[in-house]
Amino acid sequence: MQVEVSRRRFLQGSVAMSVVGGASVGVTNLLAGHGEEKGELSVTTKTGTSKATEVATLCEMCVNKCAALARVEDGIVTKLNPNPLFPKSKNMLCPRGNAGIQALYDPDRLKSPMIRVGEKGEGKFKKVSWAEAYDAILNGTDKFPGMGKILEEEQDNRSSFLFCAGEGMAEHTFKTFYSAFGSSNWLNHASLCLQTVVSGYGVTLGGYPESDLENAEYIIMAGANRAEAIVTPDTMDIFKRTKGRGAKLICIDPRFTNTAAKADKWLAINPGTDLAFVLALTFVVIKEELYNKEYVAKHVNGFDKYKINILDNNYTPEWAEKITGIQAKDIYQIARDFMAHAPKAIYYPGRRSTFSNNDFQLRRAMAIFQGLSGGIDTKGGLVFGSKLKLDPHEGLEPIYERAKARAVNKVERTKGQVGYSDCAVVSGGGSWVGWRNRYLENKMPYKVRGMFIYKHNPMMNMPNSAKTAQMFKRMDLVVAIDTMPSDSVMYADVVLPECHYLERTDPVKTFGGIEPSIAQRNKVLEPMFDTKPVIEIMGGLTQKISKPLFDISKKYDADIRDELANLNGKTAKEREAEVYEEFNLHKPFEHSQEYINQQMVQGTYGKDAVKSLRDNGVFYPDMDKYFKKLSGNEHQYYPEKHKSYTVNGGRAKTNTNKVECYLPNLTKKGVDSMPMWHEQYLFTVPEGKFRLLTGRHAQFTQSGTANNIMLRDLMHENYIWINRRVAKKRNIEFGDMIEVSSKVGKTTLRAYPTEKIGPNTVFFVHGFGEESEALTWAYKNGGNDNAVIEDIIEPVYGASSMHETNVEIRKV
Amino acid sequence: MARYGMALDYKNCINCKACEVACKEENGVLLGADKHRIWVGANDVDGEWPLLDIVSATFMPSQCQHCDDAPCQSVCPTNATYYDENSVVRVDPDKCILCSYCMNACPYDARYVDDRTMTVDKCNFCSDTRVARGETTTACQNTCPTKVRTFGDLDDPESEISELLRTREHFSLKAHLGTKPKLYYLT
Ligand code: SF4
Ligand code: SF4
Ligand code: SF4
Repeated sequence: MQVEVSRRRFLQGSVAMSVVGGASVGVTNLLAGHGEEKGELSVTTKTGTSKATEVATLCEMCVNKCAALARVEDGIVTKLNPNPLFPKSKNMLCPRGNAGIQALYDPDRLKSPMIRVGEKGEGKFKKVSWAEAYDAILNGTDKFPGMGKILEEEQDNRSSFLFCAGEGMAEHTFKTFYSAFGSSNWLNHASLCLQTVVSGYGVTLGGYPESDLENAEYIIMAGANRAEAIVTPDTMDIFKRTKGRGAKLICIDPRFTNTAAKADKWLAINPGTDLAFVLALTFVVIKEELYNKEYVAKHVNGFDKYKINILDNNYTPEWAEKITGIQAKDIYQIARDFMAHAPKAIYYPGRRSTFSNNDFQLRRAMAIFQGLSGGIDTKGGLVFGSKLKLDPHEGLEPIYERAKARAVNKVERTKGQVGYSDCAVVSGGGSWVGWRNRYLENKMPYKVRGMFIYKHNPMMNMPNSAKTAQMFKRMDLVVAIDTMPSDSVMYADVVLPECHYLERTDPVKTFGGIEPSIAQRNKVLEPMFDTKPVIEIMGGLTQKISKPLFDISKKYDADIRDELANLNGKTAKEREAEVYEEFNLHKPFEHSQEYINQQMVQGTYGKDAVKSLRDNGVFYPDMDKYFKKLSGNEHQYYPEKHKSYTVNGGRAKTNTNKVECYLPNLTKKGVDSMPMWHEQYLFTVPEGKFRLLTGRHAQFTQSGTANNIMLRDLMHENYIWINRRVAKKRNIEFGDMIEVSSKVGKTTLRAYPTEKIGPNTVFFVHGFGEESEALTWAYKNGGNDNAVIEDIIEPVYGASSMHETNVEIRKV
Repeated sequence: MARYGMALDYKNCINCKACEVACKEENGVLLGADKHRIWVGANDVDGEWPLLDIVSATFMPSQCQHCDDAPCQSVCPTNATYYDENSVVRVDPDKCILCSYCMNACPYDARYVDDRTMTVDKCNFCSDTRVARGETTTACQNTCPTKVRTFGDLDDPESEISELLRTREHFSLKAHLGTKPKLYYLT
């Protein structure tokens, strides 16, 4: 694709500009500095001193949704500042949040609808109008069939279309379309992300808790990296209190991360063995009777069984030392210290992708360990917080007689009744890799021929990209809605360009927690180019396809035919209009987002709330009374006595209000009823190979920000961490090109020899090495982990296990 | 008229570099990894895995120290570098001749070349942007997730920075050089 308008064009005006060719050599930043620069000129703007408008909005550079104030001068966003009013983001914007401007003015943005004219995946598109794009979706072109043809051939099986979405505020709008359309194939990022942690805590504590890091005195952070994988308000709360300032932080990680650097103690652990570590901590507190006996007696279910499990299996620290590499004496100490500080002690739940096949049981064990301390639903421990309710708005969920149940295995089931052949439990978000592989192995119970992707990049975001490419190539019709020409967009037949997050108002959202609030992303600028918000895209598309698709249903759907035959004293035409209303896909998209948001807020909180959300981006009851500026840096959101530390009497939120140690129902599904260790969980790496670890850092969000020129100043590309002594033996020096290969593929990136990683593991951050040539800066920049990570899924939810792959490395 | 300084709760710093981006966006600093007014000093950690010395991995957020006795100012042949009315060390782009004496004289490596204005530039406490608009925080202070910085008037005994310096122990970087920095690192 050609870049049509360079950023400089937007920025003409009286605002001072700085323009520079991208020549960059890192001097103070070790990890910025290799490689020739290429591409467009780029600019930063200096903010002016004359009048500017400020619009309250929410950041979308990652999932946190920090509140931002966009400074607009002469129609240009010159600065994004933190909005102090939002309790969740507490007056901060991280580097990515600040660099949102560069995403807005990225010359590579998708600028108009496009339809494929080349081969699938080739990236050759024709620019078209919205009407032409909608028409191509319904009726196809000479290159691909349309929805009409597919649904006709599949006899109105709406499930012959897959819908998938990445995380984002407008995901809700896209999902509204999915529900109205009537497919039962929905996949989201959960099985590539936090599925097992959320579910593990869900079944054990009755909900995924927050951590009160403002008040905890002792924190174990294992396999979570809050200094680099920023989560609000956790990141802001904890690091003001570490290093002898109120909170003792124990970091457990195979790598020495920035979180390790901020910890009081860092212990290197063998990848995938955290479960043994928690079991041994549990052993100590049971054996030494350090747990909160009163709490356990009252609020923990199945403790006796769990106690026998732990003691009889002899999960001693000495046992765990051999498995984890963490010394037994450290395990004793941590267990004792933790319980001494309880209930102001937290085993931090984390929020990340599944790393190992035992992740679900690991989360259960962590939740139970926390339960034994009594540090649940209480200040300084894990808390559930409260949430401000929003009123529902009108959706549409018609039932299509011909729509088959989720494509999960060979057994045909009715919609709603589901069961996988490859994992125990089917979650709402499904198992992405399980689904993809079943599709490729022709194990689907019916044909799935088309897919809609929203803000989702399956080519980059899930293990074994080669298989994802095959899946895309096999799909008859792929419709992609996105802001950037990602690797996945390259495989689309029809591309619908969404506008940037600063160019749209998104569904209002409620944020639960100790200090709950409601926040809204408000439109800062009108959409540039020929781009639109999802709600308008869905509006236009449904207007085009709704009636023709209904005509197909009329042919095949016995229920609809019955309904039409039953005239109820009306004419056939009147009756049809009446029945069609239940199937009118356009109905949920008749109103503007602003109107819908008002409907969701006004009834409960009144007009002022609507106004506050528009003007300030944030609302919570009594905000005007409670919110106070305490200093240049600190704000009060709620007075202490109104904070939601305890909302359930200090108990878990399960049906029994108890922490559930023992879940016999799981056994029926082939899952251990209690966390326990199995030999196959042992960490082993064959001689000459390395275990590949992946992860996050503070300057990029997965692959979504890979083309951001400002962030590239901070980190030019990703590097593979190799233990310094190992690198020396292999004659590998900083910056050498390394080929990383596994059973499923290869990728190439530069070496970073360091002592921050052990001798049999290597690491590089996720999100680099895109193949889309339409991304000037991200194209072939660094290495793509998912080209190498094997598609191994854990047995409970079918989530992708990201740290189960061994690789070879070779200097090239 | 004020005497501006900054206190840094440097132990809070997580090396996220939000401050670097905020500074670039606020002040129109050129793109490029070598163009920046603000940075975080980080060493590779001492020791051999898994026995690493956490203390050696401290992050040191830094920028122009706004020295009361600034070596860059005294070597500047054209007086392009000067103290403004708020004791902020500033650079006048019209007078700067790119001789780069100041770059060599600065013991803190605070300066870089702005290729657009052809000036040896550096942090100016957001004097011509935020402070000129009457704002009371700098871009780097405002955006920081862990609130490392407090900017303010050292001459005002009521200011937050004065209060911090009265109640917390602090040190200056390379104090032995006698440059008298107005950046204070809180311990
Ligand atoms: S953490 Fe950063 S990227 Fe994420 S929402 Fe907040 S400012 Fe934006
Ligand atoms: S923004 Fe704050 S925490 Fe981040 S690098 Fe700068 S000083 Fe450190
Ligand atoms: S005070 Fe302003 S100019 Fe100086 S480093 Fe901070 S943001 Fe940049």
